[in-house]
Amino acid sequence: MFKFFSSSNIYLLIQKLIKFINSIFVLILVIGLTFALVLSPPDYLQGDSVRIMYVHVPSAWLGLACFSVITFLSVLNFIFKIKSFYFINKSLAPIGLLFTCLAIVTGSLWGKPTWGTWWAWDARLTSMLALMLFYFFYILTFKLLSNKELIIKVSSVIAIIGSINLPIIKYSVEWWTTLHQPASVRIIGSSSIHSEMLLPLMVMLLVFLLYAALIFLMKYKTEIIRVKKKNIKRN
Amino acid sequence: MISNFITMNGYGLYVWLSFSAVFFSCAVVYFKTKKTLKKYEQEFLAELQTLTLEEKNKALESSKVAQQILATSLKVS
Repeated sequence: MFKFFSSSNIYLLIQKLIKFINSIFVLILVIGLTFALVLSPPDYLQGDSVRIMYVHVPSAWLGLACFSVITFLSVLNFIFKIKSFYFINKSLAPIGLLFTCLAIVTGSLWGKPTWGTWWAWDARLTSMLALMLFYFFYILTFKLLSNKELIIKVSSVIAIIGSINLPIIKYSVEWWTTLHQPASVRIIGSSSIHSEMLLPLMVMLLVFLLYAALIFLMKYKTEIIRVKKKNIKRN
Repeated sequence: MISNFITMNGYGLYVWLSFSAVFFSCAVVYFKTKKTLKKYEQEFLAELQTLTLEEKNKALESSKVAQQILATSLKVS
């Protein structure tokens, strides 16, 4: 069982997964874009600007999801010192930063036609900006520090402090009066979004998930090669 | 029809800018990640070439990763 999780077997699995994602990605991307830009109806209030939702919402969800995983693995790594969690976090952080930045940029582009402003120091927007800064400092620890033990400690502290911001982002639209609309899609309870818009959103979410998985696998593969290269030198 | 699709009833600038920003950023990250991966694969192979035949065989026997990288590079070349 544990032999399966050796870096060699993981490397082989990663190669297979990269091939699989590459083979289906373009097809799902075309389907997603067709739904998002052509087939889905315009909103009765926001008109065609609602199409920005199909890139904004998956970006925001993935930005939050990546940080949640990083925090969870950081806590485990802090306690159990599992080497692969360090590499998973190192590979995940740039992906989370990318999607958080994209959520802020596309949100700003959506805000101008709907709210009449590019930016407001509103609770949701400000907490997303804070998440972006946490990602930035988290990645900076890997770039600036050279001692691995110290990197694990500092990055774990940043992730744990940053995780306080996650429920603030989620509930900011309920706790404070904000420009940002409340959540339309709910895991528990009924969603207020129509199925004609929910389906394209889910397809676009799948596209973003596949892309994130592809980048993560490539980055993780790079980390394995980096370690193996060091081991060859030692031997 | 096509004109409507491009202008998006007056929201075209915002919609197309959003999709372009996402597409461009994701493409840049994809190609940068791929380039780094290739660079490390090449460096790994170069490192392997510096070993003696005996050391190389030992490294290849003990590491499936080394075998895979070597096999991939042979396929490409």
